[in-house]
Amino acid sequence: MAALLLLLLTGVNAYEALTLPLEGKRLFNDMLMPGQVSAWFNTLMTGCTLLYVMLSGRDIRKVGNHVADYFALIFFTLCGLYILSSYNTLLMLFLGIEILSIPQYILAGADKRNLKSSEASLKYFLMGSFSTGILLMGIALLYGAMGTFHISEFSFPTTELFSPLALAGILLIVVAFGFKVSAAPMHLWTPDVYDGAPTPFASYMATVMKVAAFYAFIRLFHNSLGSVSNKWMLVIMIITAATLLIGNITAVFQQSVKRMLAYSSIAQAGFMLFAVLSVNELGRQSLIIYAVAYTLATVGMFTVLAKLKDYTYDGFNGLAKSNPMLAFATAIFIFSLAGIPLTGGFMAKYYAVSALMTQGNAMWLVLFGLLMAAVSVYYYFRVIWAMYFKPGTPQLHEPMTTTDNWLLLFTASLVILVGVAPQLVLAFA
Amino acid sequence: MPTQYYLFLSLALFCIGIMGTLMRRNAIIIFMCIELMLNSVNLLLVAFSKMYGHADAQLFVFFIMVVAAAEVSVGLAVIVLMYRKVHSVDVNILNRLKH
Amino acid sequence: MTGMIQYAWLVPLFPLAGFLINGLGWRSLSRKMGATIGSLSVLVPFIISLLIFLDVRTGSNSVLSYFPFIQSDGLNIPFAFQIDSLSSLFLLIITGIGFLIHVYSAGYMAEDDGIVKFFAFLNLFVFSMLLLVMGANYLIMFIGWEGVGLCSYLLIGFWYKNQDYTSAGRKAFVMNRIGDLGFIVGMLLTLYCYGTLSYSSLFPQIGSANDLVSTNAKEWIALCFFIGAIGKSAQIPLFTWLPDAMAGPTPVSALIHAATMVTAGIYMIARSHLLYDATPITREIIAWIGLATALLTATIALRQYDIKKVLAYSTVSQLGFMFIALGCGAYTTAVFHVLTHAFFKALLFLGAGSVIHAMGGEQDMRQMGGLGKKMRITQITFLIACLAISGIPGFSGFFSKDEIVSAAFAHGKMLYAGALLGSMLTAFYMFRLYTLTFTGGFRGTHDQEHHLHESPATMTFPLIVLAILSVFGGYIGLPAVMSSHHLLSSFLGLNGAVVNQPDFLKSFEALHHQEWTLIAISSIVAIAASIAGWAAHRKPAFSANKGLALAFEKKWWVDELYDAIIVRPFLALSSAFDRGVERKGIDGLVNGTGKLVRWSAERMRLLQSGQVGYYLFVMVIGIALLLAIGFFGNPF
Repeated sequence: MAALLLLLLTGVNAYEALTLPLEGKRLFNDMLMPGQVSAWFNTLMTGCTLLYVMLSGRDIRKVGNHVADYFALIFFTLCGLYILSSYNTLLMLFLGIEILSIPQYILAGADKRNLKSSEASLKYFLMGSFSTGILLMGIALLYGAMGTFHISEFSFPTTELFSPLALAGILLIVVAFGFKVSAAPMHLWTPDVYDGAPTPFASYMATVMKVAAFYAFIRLFHNSLGSVSNKWMLVIMIITAATLLIGNITAVFQQSVKRMLAYSSIAQAGFMLFAVLSVNELGRQSLIIYAVAYTLATVGMFTVLAKLKDYTYDGFNGLAKSNPMLAFATAIFIFSLAGIPLTGGFMAKYYAVSALMTQGNAMWLVLFGLLMAAVSVYYYFRVIWAMYFKPGTPQLHEPMTTTDNWLLLFTASLVILVGVAPQLVLAFA
Repeated sequence: MPTQYYLFLSLALFCIGIMGTLMRRNAIIIFMCIELMLNSVNLLLVAFSKMYGHADAQLFVFFIMVVAAAEVSVGLAVIVLMYRKVHSVDVNILNRLKH
Repeated sequence: MTGMIQYAWLVPLFPLAGFLINGLGWRSLSRKMGATIGSLSVLVPFIISLLIFLDVRTGSNSVLSYFPFIQSDGLNIPFAFQIDSLSSLFLLIITGIGFLIHVYSAGYMAEDDGIVKFFAFLNLFVFSMLLLVMGANYLIMFIGWEGVGLCSYLLIGFWYKNQDYTSAGRKAFVMNRIGDLGFIVGMLLTLYCYGTLSYSSLFPQIGSANDLVSTNAKEWIALCFFIGAIGKSAQIPLFTWLPDAMAGPTPVSALIHAATMVTAGIYMIARSHLLYDATPITREIIAWIGLATALLTATIALRQYDIKKVLAYSTVSQLGFMFIALGCGAYTTAVFHVLTHAFFKALLFLGAGSVIHAMGGEQDMRQMGGLGKKMRITQITFLIACLAISGIPGFSGFFSKDEIVSAAFAHGKMLYAGALLGSMLTAFYMFRLYTLTFTGGFRGTHDQEHHLHESPATMTFPLIVLAILSVFGGYIGLPAVMSSHHLLSSFLGLNGAVVNQPDFLKSFEALHHQEWTLIAISSIVAIAASIAGWAAHRKPAFSANKGLALAFEKKWWVDELYDAIIVRPFLALSSAFDRGVERKGIDGLVNGTGKLVRWSAERMRLLQSGQVGYYLFVMVIGIALLLAIGFFGNPF
C-alpha cells in the first residue's frame, strides 16, 4: 500500500517536473516556489523512498507493533522534504525542517523494547530542539536585518558596512544546517543516534532526510545569500574540512559496520558541503547526483546490515561464499561509497570536486578532500576484505528471499547506472 | 523604547537558555531551557515586527508556538518512555551508546 | 580492410561478457566451461585487434565517440575510444599475451576450486586494461586505471585463506590509491587549465601559440600524472607493493604484474608525450627516479631466494629502465621495451610457474637445482627468456635495452653509466636464477624429486609461443646502424601518435658514429655478467648474508621504514582521534580538549552532566568559534 502511494507520488512529481516552469511558480502568497528542478529533486527522492520501502519493508514491520504509524511518519518526512525543496520564505524553511525532524525523533525511538533506541531518541530530540532554537535565532536576526522573510527579496547593501545582525543570523543558520546534515563540530549526535535507532530507520535518516536538509541548505545559500558568499564562505570551509577529517579518521577505528556507516555518512556530508561551497550551477547538479548516488548505496548497505545478526566487520566474514548475490551487491555499494569509477559514487565525487574547482578559491580543500577519500578506501574495503577473503559463516536473521536478492541487485545496478550515465539523473536539473 | 533593548533582552534570555541546557542534568529542565531559547526568539520577532510595522513576524511567532507544542508532546512522550525504563530523567544515565 | 576500426567497441565487450557469465555463474559452471569461456572471450578480441592493427598500419586512425558521459555547462566529456598506432599496439599486447596466459591458467589452476571465479576476475582485468588504453580522454583512462588496480587487489588476494596474501593485496591497493591521487589531481589540474580531458583537443593546445598555461603549471600537471605512474608502475617510493603482489597465482603475476598493468604508467606518459615534451624538469625527475629504481631493485634481486621475488624485483628494475627512456624523451624506445619485456617477462613468470607447479608449490630456489633434466621445454624456453632479458645480442631484449642505454648516453654520461651498471646487474642475477634452478644437482626432498614432471600442453604451448616472440620480437626495432627502417618507431609515428622529443632526436642522431661502440660495450657487459652469474652459482653454497648482501636480502629495509614512518603514526593518529575527540566522558574530555576545558568543565559541572551535555558543550564551543571566525577572521 505504502509502495503504491509512493509510486503515485513519484509519478505526480515527475509530471510536475515536466510541466513546471524552470524559474518556479509562486504558491500561497509566494511562500512556496516550486520549480522544475525542485520537482525533479522531489521525484528522485520519492523514487529513492519507494526503493527504500520496498527494500526494507519487511524490516520495518519487524521493528514494533505500530507499523501503520511508521509508514505515516515516513510520509510526514516526505512532506517536509517537499516543503524544503520549494520554500520561498524562512517560515516555510522552519516548518519544513520541523516537519522533517519531529517524525525522526519518534522513528529513532520506535523500538520501545530496546533501551538503546529510546536513548537515541531522547538524545536526538534534546539536541535537535537545541539546534531548532539556534535556527530560529538565526532567522529572527536575519529578519531584523532584512525586514522580510521572503528569501527572494533579500537585498544586501553593496557599499555600506555589512549589518552584524545579518551576519550573525547567517552564521547561526549555517550552524543549524550543519547540525541537520551532521557536519563537524555539530556531528556528535550522529553516530549515537544511527547506532541506537532501529536499522531501517537509521538508513532513512542517514539518506533521504539528510539530503533534504542539504537541498534546503543550497536553496538558501546559493540563491539568496549567494551574493554575499564571501561572508560565510570561510566558516563553511572550516566546517567542511573538520567534517572530512573527523568523519574519515574516526571511521577507520570503528569495529561495528553500523557505526562505521554513521561516520562515513559524516564524511560523505563533507563532500556534499563542496556543493554548498561552490555556489554555482555545477554545484547544484553535483548535489543532486551526490544525493542519488549516496542514498542508493547507503540504503543498500543498511538493508544488507539489517539482514545480518552481527554488525561488526566479523559479521561479514565469508558472506561471499554463503550468499554470493548479497555479497556482490554489498561490494557494489561499498565501491560506490568509496568512489571507485563506474559507480555512482565516483561520478558524485567527480562532480562535487569539479564544481568546487570551477569556483576556484578552495583548491586546498579539493586536495584535502581527495586525500580523505583515499583514506576512506581503507575502512570501506575492510568490508570487502571480510566478505571475500575471510572464512566464516555469517548469521542471517532469516534466509534471503528471491525478491530481496533481485531488489538488491536492482539497486546495485542503479548505482552502476548513475556511474555510467549521470546525465539521466540530471535530466531536469 | 529602542529595539536594541529588546534585542539585548532576548539575546540574554537566549544565552541563559543555552547555559541551562549545558549545566542541567534533568531532561525536563534541559527541555524547558530550550523552550526559553525559543521564547526569546519569539520576543525578538515581535520586537522586530513592531519596528518594521509588518505583521508577518507575529504570524511567525504563532507558528513557533504551534511547532513548540508539537515538540513538547513528542519530547515528553520520549522522556516518559525513558522514565518507565530507568526510573530517572537524568541524562547522565544515557551512556549505552558510545565509542 | 578499412573500417575495422569502427568495430573497436567489440574488443572490450567480449571480456566484459566473459566476466559477467563467469562471475554470475561461478558456482554452477563447470571448470572446463569457465576456462573455455574465459579464454575465448580474450581470443576473439585478439583477432579483432589484429585486424584493427592491420587497419591502423595503413594509416587510418580515429576517435570513436559513443555517448556523452559528463555534460554540463562548459564541461563535456564523451565516452569515446581513440584507436591509433599506440593503442592498437597495446591492444595486441594485452589481448595476445592475455590469451596465452588464459590458456596457461587453464592448466595451472585446473585443480583449484575457484577457477571459474579466477577467470571472471582475469576477464574483468582484461576489460579494464582495454578501457585504459582505448579511452580517448583521461577520464576513461582513469576508469580503466582504477579497474585494473581493483582486479589486481582481488587477484593478489585470490588465495584468501592465507592472511599474508590478503594483506599483500591491501598493500597493493593502498599504494595504488596513493598514486591514483596524483592522477586525479593531475586530471583536475588539466581540466582547470585547459578545460578538457580529451587527448584530441588537449594536446594540440599544448605548445601552440595560444597556450596561455605557464610552464610551471604544466610541470605540476606532468608531475602529478607521473605520481600516478609511480604508483601503478611500482617506482621509488611506491615500489614495495609489487614484490608482495607475488602472493597471487603465478599467471596473475605474469599478466598483471609483468606484462600489462604495470606498464600502464609507461603507456600514460607515452600517450601524453606532447605534455612531457614541454616539461623538461619533470622528465629529468622521471629519468633519475627510473635509474634509482632500476639500480636499487636490481641489487635486491641479487640476494633473493624466492624465484618469484627475483622476477618481481627484476620487473621493477626493468620498469625503471623504461622510465629512464621516457625521461630522456625516447618515448618510442620505452614502448619498444614494454613490448619486448612483455614477451620475455611473461615467459619468465610462466616458466617459473611451471617450475613451481612441478615442485608442488615450492618457491625457494635453495630447494631446487637440476630441474632441467626433468623439464626440457621449460628449461629451454626459460634460457631463451634469460638471454633476452640479459641483453645478449640477437635476442629481443638486446635491441630494446641497447636503445635505452644509447638514449641514456645521448642524455648524459652519468645516466649512461648507471644504466650500464643496471643492465650488468640484470644479466648477473638472471643467470644466478637460471643456474640455481635448472643446473647442478637437486637439493629438495626426495618426495619433491619424485613428483617432478614436465607441465601439461596447455602450459607448455604458451611457453613456446612466447619463446619464439622473445627471440624475434626485437627485429621490429633494429638500431639505425644496422637498418634504416625502425619499423616500430615509424609505426608509432603514424599520424604523430608517439614521436620522440625533438631535442632528444637531434642529440640521438648526433651520436650515429659512436653507435657501434655503444653496441659493442653493452654486448660485452651483458655477456660477461651472464657468464659471471653462471660461474658464481654453479656450486652454490648458502650461508647467512652479511653486510651489504644482508641489506640486499632484506630489501634495504624499505618496508620496515614505511611501517615506522607512515603506517604506525597513521594508526596512532586514528586511535588518538577515537579516544580524544570521540570517546565521551571524563577521559575524552580531559585528553581531547585540554586543560581549559577541564577548568571550565569543573566550574560548570559538565563532568557530571553526562553525554548529551558534552555534545551540546562541544557544539556551543564550535558555534562560538565559528561566529568568531565569521566576524573577525574573514579574509575575503
